[in-house]
Amino acid sequence: MEVKFNLNGLDVCLNVKPGEYLIDSLRAYGVKSVKKGCNASVCGACTVLIDEKPALSCSVLTASVEGKKVQTVESIQEEAGELSEYFAREGADQCGYCTAAVALVVHALRKENPHPTREEIEDYLVGNLCRCTGYQSQTNAVEKYLGGKK
Amino acid sequence: MKVNEYVRAASLKEAYSLKKASPKNKVLGGGLWLKKGNADVDVLIDLSRLGLDAIKEEKDYVSVGAMVTQRQFETSPIVKKIGGGVLCDAVHQILGPAFRNSATIGGSVYGKYGFSDVVTALLGFKVDLVFYPEAVISLDEYVKKPGFANGILTEVRIYKSSAKSYFKKVKATALDYPILNLCVTHDKEYRIVVGSRPLVGSLCESAMKYLNEGGKDLDKAVELCLEELKLGDSISAKSEYRSHLARVYLKRALEEVK
Repeated sequence: MEVKFNLNGLDVCLNVKPGEYLIDSLRAYGVKSVKKGCNASVCGACTVLIDEKPALSCSVLTASVEGKKVQTVESIQEEAGELSEYFAREGADQCGYCTAAVALVVHALRKENPHPTREEIEDYLVGNLCRCTGYQSQTNAVEKYLGGKK
Repeated sequence: MKVNEYVRAASLKEAYSLKKASPKNKVLGGGLWLKKGNADVDVLIDLSRLGLDAIKEEKDYVSVGAMVTQRQFETSPIVKKIGGGVLCDAVHQILGPAFRNSATIGGSVYGKYGFSDVVTALLGFKVDLVFYPEAVISLDEYVKKPGFANGILTEVRIYKSSAKSYFKKVKATALDYPILNLCVTHDKEYRIVVGSRPLVGSLCESAMKYLNEGGKDLDKAVELCLEELKLGDSISAKSEYRSHLARVYLKRALEEVK
């Protein structure tokens, strides 16, 4: 079936199976930044933004995003670049597998709650697992990144 | 998941006739549990065009459309007014915001999953479920009856309440299923619910009767709950552990809402 949606600012029309998940359609299309960490709706590595809200692309059927706005990290390159500098300074950039998803979630958090407390940051990011950092360096980086933001 | 056909229903009538036509035709809520199920679906029925995603404040109840997401629900200032915001606190503890942006209240309730925090928290209040075509059934009744429903769940009605409330979800890690969950509310009457037993939320009616008839001994009320509750074993915990947890948290809950 054909599904028309907006991907990172571009209107696309993909031919997909009715039971196909968004992550598979995106990766087949060439967007490899979206990672399949668990395929069980729990790790958050597959997070994308649908109509500007975080969603788990491993668990969303492509057919269901007809007419919607889908974003992957490529759509927030400048912000992701800036956040990654904070990550580097805090030592939070290790294998990088969780990072694209975290960048999108931080972008969404900033829209919803521009000046979150450390607790609110941890709470919003709870669904993004990281196998490397033990989370402290990540939270430090996000806290500092959002600290100076308007 | 193998799906033969994906249909965006243009009306409830169309959705219902598709659902009725075959047990292999399924209604799509958030699709999270459907993904775990691995079953082959013939026609997957998408309800997203039917305006079931609104939260409205009516005179006596709050109307929650079945397609309202868990995230919409927990951030709603209307829902926050119920029971001191306990329903929002309960739903907030489910996984992360991305998951909750897909999972729907209708899907959480319809499946009456044993581990469901949504069902346990809602059972702390008077709640009616509206099905198409034409059927209204209380959540209390829906949870007790065998099987699911033939119709399509369109609306969850939560009767307004300023009850003192307590909700607890015991889990091993932040993203885990609950080992036990419970909800205790006290307005003019007490409602005591324990879920993830591992079975779905269940009201402790003899304890409620004791307290509602003026009983003051909270320890006695807790023991009445433990006598009545069927707590079993599952992969995460044995019934003895569940009993221990229930005893502690029910006492705390009753202290807090008295």
